[in-house]
Amino acid sequence: MSRVKRIAKELEECRQDTQSGVSLELNNENDLTHLTGYFKGPPGTPYEGGLFQVDINIPNEYPFKPPQMKFLTKIYHPNISSVTGAICLDILKDAWTPILTLKNSLISLQSLLQSPEPNDPQDAEVAKQYLSNKEGFVSTATYWTKIYAYTDSSSAAPGSAGGAVPGADAAVFGIDNEAVNQFENMGFPRDKTIQVLNRMGVKTLNVSNRSELENRVLEELLQECQ
Amino acid sequence: MKVNIVDWHGVATWHWKLASNDGKAGYVDELCGICRVPFDGTCPNCKFPGDDCPLVLGRGCIHNFHVHCILKWLEQEASKGLCPMCRQVFVHDPEDNPHSEEFEYLQQLEDGHRLLREKGETTYEE
Ligand SMILES: [Zn+2]
Ligand SMILES: [Zn+2]
Ligand SMILES: [Zn+2]
Repeated sequence: MSRVKRIAKELEECRQDTQSGVSLELNNENDLTHLTGYFKGPPGTPYEGGLFQVDINIPNEYPFKPPQMKFLTKIYHPNISSVTGAICLDILKDAWTPILTLKNSLISLQSLLQSPEPNDPQDAEVAKQYLSNKEGFVSTATYWTKIYAYTDSSSAAPGSAGGAVPGADAAVFGIDNEAVNQFENMGFPRDKTIQVLNRMGVKTLNVSNRSELENRVLEELLQECQ
Repeated sequence: MKVNIVDWHGVATWHWKLASNDGKAGYVDELCGICRVPFDGTCPNCKFPGDDCPLVLGRGCIHNFHVHCILKWLEQEASKGLCPMCRQVFVHDPEDNPHSEEFEYLQQLEDGHRLLREKGETTYEE
């Protein structure tokens, strides 16, 4: 009972507030416990221009227990699982207090996009890249924002993917489309292939030790896709 | 002109007097931070404001809550016995509050968390 009253209040407060840049919607008019949150990627980050959707599940004990949140939009970030969207953020776990609200929590997620914590990762692979190859991290994160988080209204952005131009998604990273096609034809998902090639710094397979390089990429891909 | 009063109704209003820990009276905050209802209303589980749904003031900090709200929070192990607003250890002053079941229960929860903390500290040192 107390949960329902509070959520209703929070929704109302959030609707009236047009400043914060986050919004909340009920998935179903009659159910106050399943919501979707939306916010924009912070400017000056690889997430700029993206609109991120967060799935919100409210436990019976809310607000005494934190809301369960995960990203619905695929996102490349050390503290968010690139596979499941699970989030590693202290306030959604043991640092939760009942004075926090759904709106506060979404704003905290927005700041998490601004300031990743690679030393407390949710996605170890992404965190490793963030620490060892920042440039590669930024380009993958930017690419993911473009293909997964751009909304129709923001699709004015040039070079946005969706595969309108064949190979444009690979070209964003300066990767030879032939290289991507080769692994795609072996059955690896295109996005994973581009991600792995970018992480390894491979732009083309036309090198002297081609078969050795192919094997290295293959190994990475097998690990990535297991 | 002569007026005869034939009947009258008394009307009164009241507010909780919220005190900060330096003794200065005044509203520290108008809403219970836990249920987000004004202090002059009740917690979500009560019908009648006032003595049936009393407020409690933290002694270590200056934060007020409906006693029913802070009880629910302190029942959570994850609360670690801390004030939800400032994360200091939550303690109330038994002298300043009525001796009712609720406040006895509050005392129990505060003591319980203190014991847990002490136990945690010894394991940590070992
Ligand atoms: Zn309350
Ligand atoms: Zn009450
Ligand atoms: Zn406090």
